[in-house]
Amino acid sequence: MYLVADVGGETNRQMKVKRRSSQADVPSMAMGDIAFNLLIFFVILARAQDDSHLQWQPAAAEEINAQGTAKVSVLIDNDNKYYVNGQQVGASQIAGEVDALLGDAPAGERIVLFKVHREAQALYFEPAIEAISEVGGDLVHVLEKSQD
Amino acid sequence: MRERRRNKLMVEPPSSATGDIAFNLIVFFLVCASVQPDSGRQQTLPRSEQESEEQSENIEVQLGRNTVMLNGNVLRQEDFDAALKRALTGKTRDEDRVVVVKSKADTPYYHWVTVTEMIESAGGIITIQTEEEQQVVVPGG
Repeated sequence: MYLVADVGGETNRQMKVKRRSSQADVPSMAMGDIAFNLLIFFVILARAQDDSHLQWQPAAAEEINAQGTAKVSVLIDNDNKYYVNGQQVGASQIAGEVDALLGDAPAGERIVLFKVHREAQALYFEPAIEAISEVGGDLVHVLEKSQD
Repeated sequence: MRERRRNKLMVEPPSSATGDIAFNLIVFFLVCASVQPDSGRQQTLPRSEQESEEQSENIEVQLGRNTVMLNGNVLRQEDFDAALKRALTGKTRDEDRVVVVKSKADTPYYHWVTVTEMIESAGGIITIQTEEEQQVVVPGG
């Protein structure tokens, strides 16, 4: 920009004054850290929805098949507590919760993963099987391949 | 002969990229971890209204903590498979192949899974029967 100094009504001299410009860049180093923290935040948020943090040991079976993804999982942990998609529920709530999650899903898409601690007793797992069956869920026992 | 002078330049990788590399590595491992499917066994249980009324003719399996009974006879787990196959021989209709599984309250899940696997592999159709509800009338209430 040029500033013209008018001295005594007569323009006799031109003065160039440089304006200071300061560059304010966003530090690109911080971008990775921001993304990393966001990712950790969403991972923790997602973990509250699934059941990977719960304590249970699968029973063994000779023939098992890989199962596809399922909308619903019912889990009985080593303390005989019931969880539907990672959220603790009472025995009487299982049918209602599973039914609400399955909604109007057609046959074949009503898979309910049933994860039961290997030492859990019939007193606890049979009512859950009954509840899943009652609402028309396709029961899939999550098991591990037996070693022998 | 004149030897060509080598230019030794130190090229530092741009430090701004390390964050992106770390981020992509995390995403990669997260995706790998999340696509591991569960494996298990599908089981179709007849719904209560589909159960046949002639329950007395069905094969009955009773499970205890570590015992198994077939139609009231206590069997060893090794003999159960053969005995069940014999019991199912000649039964072609679905309603005849229904096996009613009754478990005592303390039956562990691993035992239940083993026995029901045997029933399914023998061609039986599993239906579970839980303990009947009992109505208790308290006198003088």
